[in-house]
Amino acid sequence: MAETRKGFLIDTSRCIGCRSCQVACKQWNKTDADKTANQGTFENPRDLTPNLYNRIKFVEKADDKGQVSWKFFNERCMHCGDAGCMKVCPSPGALYRTKDGIVAYNKEKCISCKYCVSACPFNVPRYGADDKVAKCNLCVDRVAGGMSPACAKACPTQSLNFGNRAELIAKAKAAKKTLYGENSLMGTGVVYALEGKPEEYGLPYNPSIPPAIFLWKDVIKPLGIFGFWGSIGAMLIHYVSVGPKKLEETAEDRGGDRHE
Amino acid sequence: MSNYIERFRTSERVLHWFVSIAFFILLLSGLGLYSTLFNGYFSVFGGGKQAIVFHKIAGVLFFCASAFMFFNHKKDMTTFDADDKEWIAQRGGYLSRDEAHFNVGKYNPGQKIFAIFTGVATLVLGVTGIIIWGPQSFPRGLVQLSLMMHGLMFVLAAMFVVAHVYLATIGNPGTLEAMLYGDVRKIWAKKHHPKWFKELSGK
Repeated sequence: MAETRKGFLIDTSRCIGCRSCQVACKQWNKTDADKTANQGTFENPRDLTPNLYNRIKFVEKADDKGQVSWKFFNERCMHCGDAGCMKVCPSPGALYRTKDGIVAYNKEKCISCKYCVSACPFNVPRYGADDKVAKCNLCVDRVAGGMSPACAKACPTQSLNFGNRAELIAKAKAAKKTLYGENSLMGTGVVYALEGKPEEYGLPYNPSIPPAIFLWKDVIKPLGIFGFWGSIGAMLIHYVSVGPKKLEETAEDRGGDRHE
Repeated sequence: MSNYIERFRTSERVLHWFVSIAFFILLLSGLGLYSTLFNGYFSVFGGGKQAIVFHKIAGVLFFCASAFMFFNHKKDMTTFDADDKEWIAQRGGYLSRDEAHFNVGKYNPGQKIFAIFTGVATLVLGVTGIIIWGPQSFPRGLVQLSLMMHGLMFVLAAMFVVAHVYLATIGNPGTLEAMLYGDVRKIWAKKHHPKWFKELSGK
């Protein structure tokens, strides 16, 4: 996968917060508009929704003199190499990986269990009115046709760069960028060049599959299957070694008056 | 004189089998959710989505019936006397072929431990089940923990049920009748639950 894996290199320093990516995504994926309210910030909507697969997060910060500065961050599915959503999905084919390394999904196979919502290290998958998973699918249809995703196509500043993941990373490294996601979770498909610490963008410093999810799927599940068959084996071994507690009638039980 | 003595009333037996059927519906509908290895079990219910619906309905019924069953027997099941301690010390005689005699009441400590485990598992599976049902209404960390605990308690419950079925059938001939017709043979009662038999028959 490594050579053919495609992905994003998102250079936050180039982002001007125009939100063309948001609009282009909604247009291509034909998602409905969300009604939002003015909450005193230009950030809108304020979270990913079932109809919003990517958005620009506005990180506002005021310095000592009251001067406000913005950092813009394109929030979306990270297309993890080791994807929590795929690890927990009980419906084969509902969440799947394409040959380009994209974590795509098929709503028709989604059984609405919502496990992916809880297992995502970045809290990305959403469920809408159709009760099916919704998230960035990296315009899997466009990519399969050799095009770039709608958001990258629309980005006017080359903040969103789509292409061969390894090449994009090499280029960013040559430009001395500090990268986020290069190696965590077997490498995220979306790699960021951030202007500051990940925490400033609300990103986990060291993203990983949530520990309880790891224990559930990688420890309890295999041990449980072993334990179940082990318990059946133990009963069989008991039956042929110690054996059952047989009922034996004594003379007394047969109506006799002799005592043991 | 009858060779039989009543062990479980009809209402108790009906409740037991109600809980058992709910358990097996939960098991079948939940296997596919436990692992994609068991994906084929979804087809029993006509697909994963329907299996989840069955799982939720059976889950609510199991929770109510199992909790009711536990509280019906709470006092019997949670008191251990000196004879019970002796039984536990010798593992109920299950590890040796030697004839063992324990002065056991209506339920032996193994059955009590199974009942207590079932009560705890019912509570944990029920509460975590509700949290998994509506994950967006709860903190993510709590849902993640619930998914793990639901899986863990299921595994333990399945293992306990294997032992329960074995001990109530081929492991102890004559036991199953108690849950089928309600009556057990007197020699069975005398062998397995002498203290209870004495209380009932006065000898």
